[in-house]
Amino acid sequence: MLRAQLRKQSPTGSTGATEARIQNMVVFSVAGQRFAARTDEIGGVTPWPGATTVPSDTPFIDSLVRHEKGCLPVFDLAAKFHRAMRDGERLCLIVKHVDGPLAICIDAHVPSLHMVARSLIQYRDGNDPDIAGTCIAGEEELPIINLTTLGVSSNRFAR
Amino acid sequence: MGLRGHKTATVSFGQTVRFLVALIGPTHVAFPAHWVRGIITPAEAGGDGPVMWANSSYDRTDLAARFAITAPGQTAETRIILYGNEQKSRSFSTEQALGLVDVDRSQIHPLPTQFRGGERERLLGFFIDEAYVALIANPFWVLELPTRKNPLDAFVLQVSDRQVGVPESGLPVESFVRENAMQVSGGRMR
Repeated sequence: MLRAQLRKQSPTGSTGATEARIQNMVVFSVAGQRFAARTDEIGGVTPWPGATTVPSDTPFIDSLVRHEKGCLPVFDLAAKFHRAMRDGERLCLIVKHVDGPLAICIDAHVPSLHMVARSLIQYRDGNDPDIAGTCIAGEEELPIINLTTLGVSSNRFAR
Repeated sequence: MGLRGHKTATVSFGQTVRFLVALIGPTHVAFPAHWVRGIITPAEAGGDGPVMWANSSYDRTDLAARFAITAPGQTAETRIILYGNEQKSRSFSTEQALGLVDVDRSQIHPLPTQFRGGERERLLGFFIDEAYVALIANPFWVLELPTRKNPLDAFVLQVSDRQVGVPESGLPVESFVRENAMQVSGGRMR
């Protein structure tokens, strides 16, 4: 379901040296805000199945969605960034989280795949451990979300 | 009254747990049915103070508030669940009592690890029905008793042992039994 968008900055060669210079990133949007994440942290994208609210004290983990024969916890990325999802069509981004698969509700706009030169990625430590840094995908500078550890540090701070 | 049926979620020759499924706000909450003593209307429960029913007293607890679920006001479907064991009893309001369901132990899932807060004490996990996902309330938390390890162990029925509506303590369950007596075991909830 990912739509490849190969940009001028993305060399198509597949030599080891070239691969070392590029990073595959997925760009998606949540309540209108665009984010980037490493492709290898994403397990898939499915239609949004609707969520079951769980009365939870865990920051931003507040529902379950059906997935295959089970349910996945949902991280409310929109709430983390103080945004509200609009009504209408949505997609479910499945994340390879360190604690097990995790779902994120994203906008219906299908995520796009970008091959980003590593020189255009800036990793930096900030106040928010869920943000790894920024990258330039296409012509946009986007925050890079640490999907695999999403919420782990904020939960630690919350306790 | 409120109970809509009795359903076996899966055919099993192993261990099952019987739950009463009720709506609290928009959330399907499942209570181990062994400690359900009755399901009554708000009118039958009377005004403020403990609910007196069949010579037993049930202190009220606002389960929706304790779960931090926003619940609508009283409707025609509102039911008061009388819940208790030998040690303690409580009554609480639900938007609707949907029915009984027998769930194979293998179909009961723990909360995913990502849930790290107080919900792990309040909820023992969930099970999946075609129409809903039900969150399993910790019956010890409901009764404000100290919780224990593997709380559902106390509620497991061997399929060959099942007896509908027979409580562990022998407290009266008139309305509970009356409702179930009218239902066909294995039928769908409406």
